[in-house]
Amino acid sequence: MDKAAREALAARVLKLSTADQTEVAIYSSNSGLTRFTHNAVHQNVAESDTAIKIRAIVGRRTGVAATNMLDDAALKGAVERAIAMAHLAPEDPALAQLPAGGPTVAPPGAFDQTTASATPQKRAEMCDAIFRVAEKNDYWCAGFATTSESSVTIANSNGAMASFTGTDAGVNVKMNASDSSGFAECYVNDCSEIDAHSIGERAAEKTRTSASPQTVEPGEWTVILEPAAFGELFTYIGDHFSAQAYDEGSSFLSDGLDRKYFGENVTLYDDYAHPLAPGMPFDYEGQPTRRLTLVENGVAKNVVTDSYWAKKLQRENTGHALPAPNAYGPQALHLVVAGGTKSLDQLIAETPRGLLISRFWYIRTVDQKKAIVTGMTRDGTFLIRDGKLAGGVRNMRFNQSIIDCLNACELSREQARTGSYSYSIVVPSAKISGFTFSSGTDF
Amino acid sequence: MSYKDQAARALDTASKRGAGYADIRFEINRSERIEARNGVVATLSDSTSRGYGIRALADGAWGFAAGSDLSDAGIDRVAARAVDIAKAGAAIARKRIGQAPQRAYTDTFATPLLRDPHDVPLGDRVALLLAAEKALHVSPQISVGRAWMDLWTIDKFFYSTIGSAIEQRIRQTGSGMEALAVGGGDVQSRTFPGDIGLYQAGGWEIIERAHLESNAQRIAEEAVALLGAPQCPSGTFDIILGGSQVSLQIHESCGHPAELDRVMGWEANFSGVSFLEIEQLGKLKYGSDLVTIVIDNTLPEGLATVGYDDEGTKSVQSDIIRNGMLVGYEMSNDTARSIGRESNACVRAQSWEFVPMIRMCNLNLLPGNTPFENLFDDVKDGIYMESNRSWSIDDHRLNFQFGCEIAWEVKNGKRGRMLKNPTYAGVTPAFWNSCDAIGDQASWVAWGTPNCGKGEPMQTGRTAQCAAPARFRNVEVGVGYRG
Repeated sequence: MDKAAREALAARVLKLSTADQTEVAIYSSNSGLTRFTHNAVHQNVAESDTAIKIRAIVGRRTGVAATNMLDDAALKGAVERAIAMAHLAPEDPALAQLPAGGPTVAPPGAFDQTTASATPQKRAEMCDAIFRVAEKNDYWCAGFATTSESSVTIANSNGAMASFTGTDAGVNVKMNASDSSGFAECYVNDCSEIDAHSIGERAAEKTRTSASPQTVEPGEWTVILEPAAFGELFTYIGDHFSAQAYDEGSSFLSDGLDRKYFGENVTLYDDYAHPLAPGMPFDYEGQPTRRLTLVENGVAKNVVTDSYWAKKLQRENTGHALPAPNAYGPQALHLVVAGGTKSLDQLIAETPRGLLISRFWYIRTVDQKKAIVTGMTRDGTFLIRDGKLAGGVRNMRFNQSIIDCLNACELSREQARTGSYSYSIVVPSAKISGFTFSSGTDF
Repeated sequence: MSYKDQAARALDTASKRGAGYADIRFEINRSERIEARNGVVATLSDSTSRGYGIRALADGAWGFAAGSDLSDAGIDRVAARAVDIAKAGAAIARKRIGQAPQRAYTDTFATPLLRDPHDVPLGDRVALLLAAEKALHVSPQISVGRAWMDLWTIDKFFYSTIGSAIEQRIRQTGSGMEALAVGGGDVQSRTFPGDIGLYQAGGWEIIERAHLESNAQRIAEEAVALLGAPQCPSGTFDIILGGSQVSLQIHESCGHPAELDRVMGWEANFSGVSFLEIEQLGKLKYGSDLVTIVIDNTLPEGLATVGYDDEGTKSVQSDIIRNGMLVGYEMSNDTARSIGRESNACVRAQSWEFVPMIRMCNLNLLPGNTPFENLFDDVKDGIYMESNRSWSIDDHRLNFQFGCEIAWEVKNGKRGRMLKNPTYAGVTPAFWNSCDAIGDQASWVAWGTPNCGKGEPMQTGRTAQCAAPARFRNVEVGVGYRG
């Protein structure tokens, strides 16, 4: 559904409502994903849908109804259901007015027509290029190629009307040999920027150079995390920058802002307009999103808010609301870690003994307040000896405080977008001392 | 036009476009969620989503397309898209993976329920949660109280080119609560029942079974007490796990590795592979003789219970681990036939817009004969842990580390002082072979997991792992805080 149709639909639904305040959110998507294993496609899917969500506010009471049935009767029914639920909810004294919105501009590169109209044949071409790399090396590969277009319109009875359409494309590859594997990925907004052959080659190179892995002892190591690994750590502290977690005491920032939590070389932003990951310039309440410095030179500067938490904490609304209803509070969805001064190669060359890690797996929080997490290495872990890669090592489990990591790291100047089709983080590689491994594996 | 007529049109279009087999699954999914949080209703929502997914098999490759446009043109477009996608995959295929199902069914199924949750006035449902949530605030140190419930109704209409016509109404219900205590630079959480809540197939009776309000004060007091409790020690101990934690242990260390698609490398790039390789079938001593784990998708209260899976295969019971020995897998039609077996109906899609894939369903550790209180007997120096807080396992499903919300030391068969931040770690077969007692039928609960992630695009599955508390000897404890 295009922008004009979405905005017309939103206006029509707003008129149906008799609530004191009404918000209409329309989500439209068209996506495809081709998944492969053993050099053959085994899941090949596409989906398209348009759904509408209505938030009705009566006094200080809220109800939400959603439907993807867009005929008049279904829309009227959804509006009435939202209002009826609002009448049954108790009053929330902290409830804020819906924001009036404001002008927004989509960042350059957020939408690409070729990606929006990509065919399964286009995705098959990308997969085939990867299959050929696997066959040349006598490996088998597993992964996916995906393209998607997604649109959002948020409108409310206080005057907000914001629309955005973005595209995403991604390739993810694991190359497999008898005793080693290697991983590579690429996420962009324009699928023509994906060089599937090169991504396959990068994964194959990791597989080749990590063959015949050796066992190293767990304990404290200097590690160099490539972006896919370093970025995953940030998915486990992103929620600490929510005004809700900050206020309720579950964030490590709850001790206060304007305090130093990380090393001076660590600066963290939330930036929807970063050129590597351009995204939606407003939040799910239609409020323009601020490009926000969260941590500057190790000092915490801001938490993100939405209308509710801005009012409750008497802070500015930074435009980081999630879709209603939302029990998780506002969230920073476009994290960017500023790069350092050295190249990844330099970081490796300056390491007498350490580990280079391509990717983590199954990270989970062990201790929320201390931001201790556990997880595994996978798909390309290498010994560094005297500044050079010295072969693959078997995978290990770590238990580590992310806060401690960010007090003992050097960052590469190159940044990369990592994550997947559903979220993105822009990070450099990071060299971290005193990273703690607790056990190993036989593979 | 009826779903049957629309299905006929879709399957005809797919066949004419070149599909050798096709099926269509219409779904109407209704989700109601209420969440009370710190005295207010943070979530009060009612969502309905209607659409259909079409699978087409062309030249040995599968294509799947989904849409919500129920017009003739919309149905034709989505059916043609499914075949086009299948052919795009077939054009680069090095081997043929897809095989058409062979058995057709015409049937109906409805989840048995004692009371329809929608017959309970919405105001009463809200009031129940507000009362439970209020009871959590036993101290100023309770920073967050939450109580929630989910009501799910799924209507499915499945038709295939081999003649299946299956209508199902599936009802799933769940509720839970959490108390978060903050103080002294620490944060501690207690949840009930289990760490997710009690989620089962059925109706309002499941909400009543959870007894939220009568347990609220106790779990909130435990959360506050944990702030000042001593740290769980590190070392090798005998441990007793509460039922919901055993359920999680089954989920992660048996349920996922026994998915045959995973064994065959279909999940290799994301959720990983499996140590339960096909060559190990009938040979691997996975656990002690006490350990028998079965699929039972007919169990009335099992969260994953359906009449037929999303490939149109009738629900059955089958063994995965029998007296400690690996004897089976969770299977789809394609994967089962590739090892000479028949599907055991473990295929699910999150909803109409997702492709069906192997999911865990109801995977149950059969109860033992030890009453819960006797699990503590013969434990000289051990730890009793309850309710999951952290879970991580490697991509072969061998090396795991789990943490629980709360623990108590066990000395000479008696439960002693409370301990905080308990974690334990191990390697899957060694751990299950160390199991020397399983709770009896009286302590066996159909624990549901409504949020299992798998696949790309990621799908959320609703699984169950029915379990009782169990005892394990000589387990590594405390590693999460030892470094």
